[in-house]
Amino acid sequence: MSTELGLAIRRKSASPSSGTNIRRESVEVSKLVDIDLCIGCKACEIACKEWNDLEPDETFNFGSYQSHEDLTASTWDLMRFKEVDLDNGDLAWLIRKDSCLHCDEPGCLLACPAPGAVVQYENGIVDFDQTKCIGCQYCVTGCPFDIPRFDRKTKKVYKCTMCVDRVAGGLEPACVKACPTGSIRFGSRQEMLAYGEAKVEKLHRRGFDDAVLYDPSGVNGLHMTYVVPRGDMLGDYGLPDDPDVRANLSFIGKLRGLRGIGAVATWAGLIGAGLYWLRVGRKAPPPEAEAVAEAERLGQPGPEDEGPEDLEPEEAER
Amino acid sequence: MTVTAGADRGDVIDRERVEAVEREPVVIVRYNLFERVLHWVVAITFVALMLSGMALAYPRLAWLSGLFGGGQTMRAAHPWIGVAFTVGIVLMLLIWARGMMLDATDRSWFRRLRSYARTGHAGLDNGRWNGGQKVYFWLSLVFGIVLLLSGIPLWFPSVAGDGVREWSRLIHHAAYLVMVGGFIIHVLLSVFLFPGTLAGMTNGQVTRGWAAWHHPRWYRETSHSQPERPEPPAAEPTEPAEPTP
Repeated sequence: MSTELGLAIRRKSASPSSGTNIRRESVEVSKLVDIDLCIGCKACEIACKEWNDLEPDETFNFGSYQSHEDLTASTWDLMRFKEVDLDNGDLAWLIRKDSCLHCDEPGCLLACPAPGAVVQYENGIVDFDQTKCIGCQYCVTGCPFDIPRFDRKTKKVYKCTMCVDRVAGGLEPACVKACPTGSIRFGSRQEMLAYGEAKVEKLHRRGFDDAVLYDPSGVNGLHMTYVVPRGDMLGDYGLPDDPDVRANLSFIGKLRGLRGIGAVATWAGLIGAGLYWLRVGRKAPPPEAEAVAEAERLGQPGPEDEGPEDLEPEEAER
Repeated sequence: MTVTAGADRGDVIDRERVEAVEREPVVIVRYNLFERVLHWVVAITFVALMLSGMALAYPRLAWLSGLFGGGQTMRAAHPWIGVAFTVGIVLMLLIWARGMMLDATDRSWFRRLRSYARTGHAGLDNGRWNGGQKVYFWLSLVFGIVLLLSGIPLWFPSVAGDGVREWSRLIHHAAYLVMVGGFIIHVLLSVFLFPGTLAGMTNGQVTRGWAAWHHPRWYRETSHSQPERPEPPAAEPTEPAEPTP
């Protein structure tokens, strides 16, 4: 949604050496969603729409408390509801605020071939710059959390910006501001992790033995972590057990290698062709009579013939 | 040519003109209009694909997207240009496949590749195309198809999924490199190395000397149906010298 906003940049998609940070210390920011405190009010959805001035998508009843079935190019924040029958006969009502998790190692950024279309700021926020987006949608499949959405009208991809324009001005994201229970929190990454770990311990004491702080290492941690009371049911929350961009990283390594080989080979080919041409120059045929005599001689059958003559009259398509 | 000026002056001009025409080389039609249009459609789409592909694959060459009206337009156009290119090479296959079959002469051509590279002449009884040209044709066709197939998951990444897209990207890139290698050699030989070759693809004509020298068998097969000068130089059946390169 934005361009640089005066924030230091850690890296940009398809842009080697794009870091700009010279500041003495940069605080990494993070959101934390304490699912234990979430009451499913959807205030965060509305705040997101309002701050980012996004057109509401039409809602309809599809048998769920959810307002929409899925994220769209103009719906960057969605409360997901799921009812699960437990083995002991209880009902678990799972609610999760679904929006970009701002991975520290973002699959979207790794996949993106357009220089600068995906920006990771030094503070950890991952943002799309639609002015650079070419609409290829590699990020859509590159994301391990299925977050970016392609807009058919503008042919660009959109997602949560973590209200980078608010954060750059020292404000918390709109969803955090609107949350009435303090379920969505915002602060430095250390603060959020400390809160999350303490909360998970508290949940353990309360009998939620499987409670976890969701901060997967396969994406080198998140800048929106979850406290998940039922950590054994990540799949039901819609969270991948082990999101992993290491395969994407190794692909990027291979692609870089191939690019390197390609660049060297292309230059070698061009320079080699140029040198060859300078060395041998232009090769004019001999005088016509000589060339024709040679052609007629080659037509004579003889022991020197190179293989059998192809006798079928070649129709030269004219 | 009729000259309406004074009879004696016109006579002089006419004679000069006749002599000039007689000095002009006899030409043979190498590629007809359809073949030339087809070749240039394939050539232009290839160059467009190569440049936009470079812009997409090499971040430092992303500025090439300006040639196509920006990255988004380029991304939208690249697959369709690819479709046009593929149609072109398939049409080439339909009209040229028979003449492109490799034969014993082509195998000899490859054995003489080293001397061909040194002297620009293999001294073989080539038909309409020599072994190298035939291989470039088949290579373009096969790798063109590979590029189309590996391009489909890149065209519709959401359908293909992550792993397929990544592998397709690598295959697409590798096939592109093969094509660029062939393209560099093709341009070097046809435009820079052999005078008279490019004309075969622009006005469609080559000189008799060019045809006899580069494609002797094709020359013999076609020269009879072409306009000839009255007295072609007699080919003395000398001792069959080893066609040393």
